[in-house]
Amino acid sequence: MATNQPKQGSENDDCSFLPLVHDVIKCMDKDSQDVHQELVKFKTRIQEAREQIGAMPGIDMSLSEQQQELETLREQVRTKNQLLQKYKSLCMFEVPKAS
Amino acid sequence: MAVRLSLASTWRAARPSKEMLPHTMTDPPPNRELIEMLALSRSQKLPQGGEDTQILELLVQRDREFQELMRVAQEQGKVHQEMQVLEKEVEKRDCDIQQLQKQLKEAEHILATAVYQAKEKLKSIDKARKGSISSEEIIKYAHRISASNAVCAPLNWVPGDPRRPYPTDLEMRSGMLGHMSNLPTNGVNGHLPGDALAAGRLPDVLTPQYPWQSSDVSVGMLPPHHGNDFGLEPPGHNKENEDDVEAMSTDSSSSSSDSD
Repeated sequence: MATNQPKQGSENDDCSFLPLVHDVIKCMDKDSQDVHQELVKFKTRIQEAREQIGAMPGIDMSLSEQQQELETLREQVRTKNQLLQKYKSLCMFEVPKAS
Repeated sequence: MAVRLSLASTWRAARPSKEMLPHTMTDPPPNRELIEMLALSRSQKLPQGGEDTQILELLVQRDREFQELMRVAQEQGKVHQEMQVLEKEVEKRDCDIQQLQKQLKEAEHILATAVYQAKEKLKSIDKARKGSISSEEIIKYAHRISASNAVCAPLNWVPGDPRRPYPTDLEMRSGMLGHMSNLPTNGVNGHLPGDALAAGRLPDVLTPQYPWQSSDVSVGMLPPHHGNDFGLEPPGHNKENEDDVEAMSTDSSSSSSDSD
Protein backbone atom coordinates (compact mmCIF):
# COMPACT_ATOMS: atom_id res chain seq x y z
CA MET A 1 0.00 0.00 0.00
CA ALA A 2 2.92 2.36 0.62
CA THR A 3 3.89 2.14 -3.02
CA ASN A 4 0.35 3.04 -4.03
CA GLN A 5 0.28 6.32 -2.09
CA PRO A 6 2.75 8.29 -4.24
CA LYS A 7 0.97 6.93 -7.26
CA GLN A 8 -2.32 8.13 -5.82
CA GLY A 9 -0.76 11.57 -5.22
CA SER A 10 0.39 11.83 -8.80
CA GLU A 11 -3.01 10.64 -9.97
CA ASN A 12 -4.65 13.46 -8.01
CA ASP A 13 -2.37 15.98 -9.66
CA ASP A 14 -3.03 14.45 -13.04
CA CYS A 15 -6.78 14.48 -12.52
CA SER A 16 -6.99 18.21 -13.09
CA PHE A 17 -7.39 19.33 -16.69
CA LEU A 18 -7.05 23.03 -15.89
CA PRO A 19 -3.29 23.23 -16.45
CA LEU A 20 -3.77 21.76 -19.90
CA VAL A 21 -6.59 24.22 -20.69
CA HIS A 22 -4.37 27.01 -19.47
CA ASP A 23 -1.56 25.89 -21.77
CA VAL A 24 -3.90 25.83 -24.71
CA ILE A 25 -5.19 29.32 -23.98
CA LYS A 26 -1.64 30.61 -23.55
CA CYS A 27 -0.67 29.21 -26.90
CA MET A 28 -3.66 30.88 -28.46
CA ASP A 29 -2.67 34.15 -26.85
CA LYS A 30 0.76 33.92 -28.34
CA ASP A 31 -0.65 32.81 -31.63
CA SER A 32 1.95 30.12 -31.71
CA GLN A 33 1.84 27.06 -33.89
CA ASP A 34 1.74 24.78 -30.86
CA VAL A 35 -1.98 25.24 -30.36
CA HIS A 36 -2.80 22.15 -32.31
CA GLN A 37 -0.17 20.21 -30.41
CA GLU A 38 -1.54 21.37 -27.10
CA LEU A 39 -5.04 20.44 -28.14
CA VAL A 40 -3.88 16.99 -29.15
CA LYS A 41 -2.17 16.66 -25.80
CA PHE A 42 -5.38 17.72 -24.09
CA LYS A 43 -7.45 15.18 -25.99
CA THR A 44 -4.90 12.45 -25.31
CA ARG A 45 -5.08 13.21 -21.62
CA ILE A 46 -8.85 12.96 -21.70
CA GLN A 47 -8.61 9.63 -23.52
CA GLU A 48 -6.12 8.31 -20.97
CA ALA A 49 -8.41 9.39 -18.18
CA ARG A 50 -11.29 7.53 -19.82
CA GLU A 51 -9.20 4.37 -20.11
CA GLN A 52 -8.07 4.73 -16.51
CA ILE A 53 -11.65 5.08 -15.36
CA GLY A 54 -12.69 2.02 -17.36
CA ALA A 55 -10.01 -0.07 -15.64
CA MET A 56 -10.80 1.06 -12.12
CA PRO A 57 -12.40 -1.72 -10.06
CA GLY A 58 -15.37 -1.32 -7.84
CA ILE A 59 -16.95 1.71 -9.50
CA ASP A 60 -19.82 -0.24 -11.04
CA MET A 61 -22.01 0.91 -8.20
CA SER A 62 -22.40 4.01 -6.13
CA LEU A 63 -20.59 4.41 -2.85
CA SER A 64 -23.72 3.80 -0.80
CA GLU A 65 -24.51 0.59 -2.67
CA GLN A 66 -20.95 -0.58 -2.23
CA GLN A 67 -21.04 0.13 1.47
CA GLN A 68 -24.28 -1.81 1.72
CA GLU A 69 -22.80 -4.79 -0.08
CA LEU A 70 -19.72 -4.62 2.13
CA GLU A 71 -21.92 -4.74 5.21
CA THR A 72 -23.83 -7.70 3.75
CA LEU A 73 -20.59 -9.60 3.14
CA ARG A 74 -19.34 -8.84 6.64
CA GLU A 75 -22.62 -10.10 8.07
CA GLN A 76 -22.34 -13.27 6.00
CA VAL A 77 -18.83 -13.95 7.25
CA ARG A 78 -19.94 -13.32 10.84
CA THR A 79 -22.93 -15.67 10.52
CA LYS A 80 -20.91 -18.44 8.92
CA ASN A 81 -18.21 -18.14 11.56
CA GLN A 82 -20.85 -18.50 14.28
CA LEU A 83 -22.34 -21.51 12.53
CA LEU A 84 -18.98 -23.20 12.20
CA GLN A 85 -18.18 -22.50 15.82
CA LYS A 86 -21.49 -24.03 16.84
CA TYR A 87 -20.87 -27.18 14.81
CA LYS A 88 -17.33 -27.58 16.05
CA SER A 89 -18.41 -27.27 19.67
CA LEU A 90 -20.93 -30.10 19.24
CA CYS A 91 -20.11 -33.52 20.67
CA MET A 92 -18.19 -34.84 17.72
CA PHE A 93 -16.91 -38.35 17.57
CA GLU A 94 -14.41 -39.96 15.29
CA VAL A 95 -15.81 -41.71 12.30
CA PRO A 96 -14.09 -45.09 11.96
CA LYS A 97 -12.73 -45.75 8.51
CA ALA A 98 -14.23 -48.71 6.70
CA SER A 99 -11.74 -51.56 6.76
CA MET B 1 -27.72 27.87 -9.41
CA ALA B 2 -27.37 26.61 -5.83
CA VAL B 3 -30.54 24.54 -6.17
CA ARG B 4 -29.30 23.21 -9.45
CA LEU B 5 -26.00 22.28 -7.81
CA SER B 6 -27.68 20.55 -4.85
CA LEU B 7 -29.97 18.59 -7.16
CA ALA B 8 -27.01 17.63 -9.30
CA SER B 9 -25.05 16.42 -6.28
CA THR B 10 -28.03 14.33 -5.11
CA TRP B 11 -28.34 12.83 -8.54
CA ARG B 12 -24.60 12.09 -8.65
CA ALA B 13 -24.64 10.36 -5.26
CA ALA B 14 -27.14 7.84 -6.54
CA ARG B 15 -25.31 7.12 -9.76
CA PRO B 16 -22.36 4.78 -10.12
CA SER B 17 -19.00 6.49 -10.30
CA LYS B 18 -18.33 4.82 -13.64
CA GLU B 19 -21.14 6.86 -15.18
CA MET B 20 -20.35 10.11 -13.46
CA LEU B 21 -16.64 10.37 -14.22
CA PRO B 22 -16.96 10.58 -18.02
CA HIS B 23 -19.92 12.91 -17.57
CA THR B 24 -17.86 15.46 -15.63
CA MET B 25 -15.08 15.24 -18.17
CA THR B 26 -17.25 16.03 -21.15
CA ASP B 27 -19.78 18.53 -19.78
CA PRO B 28 -19.26 21.10 -21.11
CA PRO B 29 -17.35 19.51 -24.00
CA PRO B 30 -13.84 21.02 -24.17
CA ASN B 31 -13.81 21.65 -27.88
CA ARG B 32 -11.74 24.11 -29.86
CA GLU B 33 -14.51 26.69 -30.25
CA LEU B 34 -14.90 27.06 -26.52
CA ILE B 35 -11.22 27.57 -25.97
CA GLU B 36 -11.00 30.01 -28.86
CA MET B 37 -13.81 32.02 -27.37
CA LEU B 38 -12.08 32.09 -24.01
CA ALA B 39 -8.81 33.09 -25.58
CA LEU B 40 -10.50 35.79 -27.64
CA SER B 41 -12.32 37.24 -24.72
CA ARG B 42 -9.14 37.25 -22.73
CA SER B 43 -7.18 38.97 -25.48
CA GLN B 44 -9.88 41.51 -26.15
CA LYS B 45 -10.43 42.19 -22.51
CA LEU B 46 -13.99 43.10 -23.24
CA PRO B 47 -16.78 42.32 -20.84
CA GLN B 48 -19.20 40.13 -22.71
CA GLY B 49 -22.04 39.78 -20.31
CA GLY B 50 -19.97 37.60 -18.02
CA GLU B 51 -20.55 34.63 -20.26
CA ASP B 52 -16.88 33.76 -20.46
CA THR B 53 -16.63 34.14 -16.72
CA GLN B 54 -19.49 31.75 -16.28
CA ILE B 55 -17.88 29.30 -18.64
CA LEU B 56 -14.60 29.52 -16.80
CA GLU B 57 -16.36 29.06 -13.49
CA LEU B 58 -18.18 26.05 -14.90
CA LEU B 59 -14.91 24.63 -16.13
CA VAL B 60 -13.28 25.07 -12.76
CA GLN B 61 -16.27 23.55 -11.07
CA ARG B 62 -16.26 20.57 -13.37
CA ASP B 63 -12.58 20.06 -12.75
CA ARG B 64 -13.17 20.14 -9.02
CA GLU B 65 -16.00 17.65 -9.31
CA PHE B 66 -13.89 15.40 -11.44
CA GLN B 67 -11.11 15.42 -8.89
CA GLU B 68 -13.61 14.66 -6.14
CA LEU B 69 -15.08 11.78 -8.09
CA MET B 70 -11.65 10.37 -8.77
CA ARG B 71 -10.92 10.46 -5.06
CA VAL B 72 -14.20 8.65 -4.40
CA ALA B 73 -13.35 6.12 -7.10
CA GLN B 74 -10.04 5.40 -5.42
CA GLU B 75 -11.80 4.85 -2.12
CA GLN B 76 -14.23 2.55 -3.85
CA GLY B 77 -11.28 0.63 -5.24
CA LYS B 78 -10.01 0.02 -1.70
CA VAL B 79 -13.48 -1.03 -0.58
CA HIS B 80 -13.66 -3.35 -3.58
CA GLN B 81 -10.42 -5.03 -2.50
CA GLU B 82 -11.81 -5.53 0.98
CA MET B 83 -14.96 -7.00 -0.53
CA GLN B 84 -12.91 -9.45 -2.55
CA VAL B 85 -11.13 -10.60 0.59
CA LEU B 86 -14.46 -11.05 2.33
CA GLU B 87 -15.85 -13.00 -0.61
CA LYS B 88 -12.90 -15.37 -0.45
CA GLU B 89 -13.52 -15.85 3.25
CA VAL B 90 -17.17 -16.57 2.59
CA GLU B 91 -16.19 -19.19 0.03
CA LYS B 92 -13.79 -20.80 2.48
CA ARG B 93 -16.47 -20.90 5.17
CA ASP B 94 -18.89 -22.45 2.70
CA CYS B 95 -16.37 -25.21 1.96
CA ASP B 96 -15.90 -25.85 5.68
CA ILE B 97 -19.64 -26.03 6.21
CA GLN B 98 -20.03 -28.47 3.35
CA GLN B 99 -17.26 -30.63 4.74
CA LEU B 100 -18.91 -30.70 8.16
CA GLN B 101 -22.20 -31.50 6.51
CA LYS B 102 -20.70 -34.55 4.78
CA GLN B 103 -19.18 -35.78 8.03
CA LEU B 104 -22.47 -35.31 9.83
CA LYS B 105 -24.30 -37.25 7.16
CA GLU B 106 -21.80 -40.08 7.37
CA ALA B 107 -22.05 -40.20 11.15
CA GLU B 108 -25.83 -40.20 10.96
CA HIS B 109 -25.73 -43.14 8.56
CA ILE B 110 -23.41 -45.11 10.84
CA LEU B 111 -25.55 -44.35 13.87
CA ALA B 112 -28.72 -45.35 12.06
CA THR B 113 -27.16 -48.68 11.07
CA ALA B 114 -25.95 -49.31 14.61
CA VAL B 115 -29.34 -48.47 16.11
CA TYR B 116 -31.11 -50.72 13.62
CA GLN B 117 -28.79 -53.64 14.38
CA ALA B 118 -29.16 -53.09 18.11
CA LYS B 119 -32.95 -53.12 17.77
CA GLU B 120 -32.81 -56.36 15.79
CA LYS B 121 -30.64 -57.92 18.46
CA LEU B 122 -33.01 -56.81 21.18
CA LYS B 123 -35.88 -58.40 19.26
CA SER B 124 -33.92 -61.64 19.00
CA ILE B 125 -33.20 -61.54 22.73
CA ASP B 126 -36.89 -61.03 23.51
CA LYS B 127 -37.86 -63.83 21.18
CA ALA B 128 -35.32 -66.15 22.76
CA ARG B 129 -36.51 -65.28 26.25
CA LYS B 130 -40.13 -66.02 25.32
CA GLY B 131 -39.24 -69.42 23.90
CA SER B 132 -36.70 -70.35 26.52
CA ILE B 133 -36.05 -74.01 27.08
CA SER B 134 -34.26 -75.62 29.93
CA SER B 135 -30.76 -76.65 29.02
CA GLU B 136 -31.29 -79.94 30.80
CA GLU B 137 -34.11 -80.84 28.43
CA ILE B 138 -32.04 -79.93 25.42
CA ILE B 139 -29.20 -82.08 26.64
CA LYS B 140 -31.56 -84.96 27.32
CA TYR B 141 -32.94 -84.69 23.81
CA ALA B 142 -29.45 -84.53 22.39
CA HIS B 143 -28.58 -87.67 24.28
CA ARG B 144 -31.58 -89.49 22.93
CA ILE B 145 -30.63 -88.55 19.40
CA SER B 146 -27.03 -89.50 19.97
CA ALA B 147 -27.93 -92.73 21.73
CA SER B 148 -29.43 -94.11 18.54
CA ASN B 149 -25.99 -93.77 16.92
CA ALA B 150 -27.56 -91.66 14.19
CA VAL B 151 -24.90 -88.95 14.37
CA CYS B 152 -21.86 -91.03 15.07
CA ALA B 153 -20.92 -94.67 14.68
CA PRO B 154 -20.67 -96.75 17.84
CA LEU B 155 -17.21 -96.96 19.28
CA ASN B 156 -16.99 -100.68 18.58
CA TRP B 157 -18.32 -100.41 15.03
CA VAL B 158 -16.15 -102.06 12.41
CA PRO B 159 -16.68 -102.50 8.69
CA GLY B 160 -18.94 -105.46 8.26
CA ASP B 161 -21.07 -104.58 11.22
CA PRO B 162 -24.69 -104.79 10.06
CA ARG B 163 -25.67 -101.88 12.22
CA ARG B 164 -26.58 -98.67 10.38
CA PRO B 165 -27.53 -95.18 11.47
CA TYR B 166 -30.91 -95.66 9.93
CA PRO B 167 -33.48 -98.37 10.55
CA THR B 168 -32.50 -101.32 8.48
CA ASP B 169 -34.85 -103.66 6.73
CA LEU B 170 -34.60 -106.23 9.49
CA GLU B 171 -35.28 -103.70 12.18
CA MET B 172 -38.36 -102.39 10.37
CA ARG B 173 -39.68 -105.88 10.00
CA SER B 174 -39.02 -106.60 13.64
CA GLY B 175 -40.82 -103.47 14.69
CA MET B 176 -44.50 -102.75 15.20
CA LEU B 177 -45.23 -101.97 11.58
CA GLY B 178 -43.58 -105.15 10.51
CA HIS B 179 -45.68 -107.09 12.97
CA MET B 180 -48.82 -105.34 11.77
CA SER B 181 -48.15 -106.27 8.20
CA ASN B 182 -47.74 -109.91 9.18
CA LEU B 183 -51.13 -110.37 10.81
CA PRO B 184 -52.50 -113.90 10.52
CA THR B 185 -54.23 -114.49 7.19
CA ASN B 186 -53.24 -118.13 6.82
CA GLY B 187 -50.88 -120.51 8.50
CA VAL B 188 -50.44 -121.34 12.17
CA ASN B 189 -50.35 -118.49 14.62
CA GLY B 190 -50.45 -116.15 11.77
CA HIS B 191 -47.02 -117.12 10.64
CA LEU B 192 -46.05 -119.10 7.66
CA PRO B 193 -43.76 -121.90 8.47
CA GLY B 194 -40.12 -121.14 7.79
CA ASP B 195 -40.94 -117.54 7.44
CA ALA B 196 -39.45 -116.34 10.62
CA LEU B 197 -37.12 -113.95 8.85
CA ALA B 198 -39.87 -112.45 6.73
CA ALA B 199 -41.98 -112.11 9.82
CA GLY B 200 -39.26 -110.11 11.26
CA ARG B 201 -38.38 -112.50 14.00
CA LEU B 202 -34.69 -112.38 14.09
CA PRO B 203 -32.60 -114.87 15.89
CA ASP B 204 -31.19 -113.38 19.03
CA VAL B 205 -27.71 -113.41 17.62
CA LEU B 206 -28.65 -111.07 14.82
CA THR B 207 -30.86 -108.87 16.94
CA PRO B 208 -29.13 -105.53 17.19
CA GLN B 209 -28.68 -104.34 20.70
CA TYR B 210 -29.71 -100.77 21.18
CA PRO B 211 -30.08 -98.88 24.40
CA TRP B 212 -33.71 -98.22 23.87
CA GLN B 213 -34.59 -101.75 22.84
CA SER B 214 -36.24 -103.13 25.91
CA SER B 215 -39.78 -103.61 27.00
CA ASP B 216 -40.72 -100.28 25.52
CA VAL B 217 -40.11 -101.21 21.90
CA SER B 218 -43.83 -101.10 21.28
CA VAL B 219 -44.01 -97.66 22.71
CA GLY B 220 -41.09 -96.53 20.65
CA MET B 221 -38.91 -93.57 21.23
CA LEU B 222 -40.42 -91.26 18.75
CA PRO B 223 -39.00 -87.74 18.63
CA PRO B 224 -41.07 -85.17 20.43
CA HIS B 225 -43.69 -83.32 18.48
CA HIS B 226 -43.28 -79.70 17.55
CA GLY B 227 -44.65 -77.32 20.13
CA ASN B 228 -44.47 -79.98 22.81
CA ASP B 229 -41.71 -79.81 25.28
CA PHE B 230 -39.01 -82.37 25.29
CA GLY B 231 -39.62 -83.27 28.85
CA LEU B 232 -42.55 -85.55 28.17
CA GLU B 233 -41.52 -89.00 29.20
CA PRO B 234 -43.32 -91.85 27.50
CA PRO B 235 -45.08 -94.17 29.94
CA GLY B 236 -43.12 -97.14 31.04
CA HIS B 237 -39.84 -95.51 30.27
CA ASN B 238 -36.82 -97.36 31.50
CA LYS B 239 -35.73 -95.74 34.67
CA GLU B 240 -32.18 -96.97 34.25
CA ASN B 241 -31.93 -95.26 30.93
CA GLU B 242 -33.41 -92.14 32.37
CA ASP B 243 -30.83 -92.12 35.14
CA ASP B 244 -28.10 -92.69 32.63
CA VAL B 245 -29.39 -89.90 30.47
CA GLU B 246 -29.70 -87.57 33.39
CA ALA B 247 -26.28 -88.46 34.63
CA MET B 248 -24.90 -87.96 31.18
CA SER B 249 -26.75 -84.70 30.72
CA THR B 250 -25.20 -83.19 33.79
CA ASP B 251 -21.79 -84.21 32.65
CA SER B 252 -20.83 -81.95 29.83
CA SER B 253 -18.07 -84.21 28.60
CA SER B 254 -20.25 -87.27 28.18
CA SER B 255 -22.05 -86.19 25.05
CA SER B 256 -21.60 -88.60 22.18
CA SER B 257 -21.39 -85.74 19.78
CA ASP B 258 -18.18 -84.36 21.15
CA SER B 259 -16.04 -87.10 19.68
CA ASP B 260 -13.86 -85.03 17.44
